[in-house]
Amino acid sequence: MSFLVKTEIFEKYTQLILEGALDSATAPQFSEEVRKIIPQKPQVLVLNVEKLDFMSSAGLRVLIFAKQKLGTTAMLFLVKPQEQLVETLKMTGLIFSVNIVDTYSE
Amino acid sequence: MKPQFQFQIFKAVPDSLEPMRNFISAFGSVQSIDKNKIYKLCLAVDEIAANIINYGYPLAGINDGTIKVLIEYSDKKLTIVLEDYAIPFNPLKQILPTQEDLDKPIEDKPIGGLGLLIARQSVDDFNYEFTDGNNRNIFVVDID
Repeated sequence: MSFLVKTEIFEKYTQLILEGALDSATAPQFSEEVRKIIPQKPQVLVLNVEKLDFMSSAGLRVLIFAKQKLGTTAMLFLVKPQEQLVETLKMTGLIFSVNIVDTYSE
Repeated sequence: MKPQFQFQIFKAVPDSLEPMRNFISAFGSVQSIDKNKIYKLCLAVDEIAANIINYGYPLAGINDGTIKVLIEYSDKKLTIVLEDYAIPFNPLKQILPTQEDLDKPIEDKPIGGLGLLIARQSVDDFNYEFTDGNNRNIFVVDID
């Protein structure tokens, strides 16, 4: 299964499409992708996680890092997270810091 | 008869995390255990195993460590034991993020301790033993 991440930069938002399993082995790939987009300071970061089957705290730490670097005004959207991921976000209180949506458009 | 007990030894490297989860999922699938319960168990095991791999063995100066994963299903309980010989580390003695920490906005949220919090909250019972030079992290999930 492993992990794939793809970045799409649009005029008003940046989208990362995540697929597979985000754990301690694969989080560095996600982190690297996030570090690439931080200098552009996107104010809307959309993470399409529909095909993300697993996420541990290693992935959550990258999410927190991204939001901390992008600043308080930046919005973080999660597109179609699987039920188990939503449970992890609830458990860690992160659910209140992200916007969960079925689709994202400008 | 379906196997009620299995074990497998994995190298203590990040690339073992996925095979470890697959090993647990395959066992759960054979025993027809609810997928959501298996996911949470995999998550808990993954968090502790990642700590052993990223901190336990490196701090012990061991670069070829292993993690033994034992699974047992009996009396409506699914038990997993992770055995390693890295530095002694009792997850139950660590300070977890408080509710106040978790309620903080993401900008002020402490990054540490989330993994242990997830590990302990994702199973019905979590225990730790240190015996014969081995850490034993024990995860129990109740099966209805």
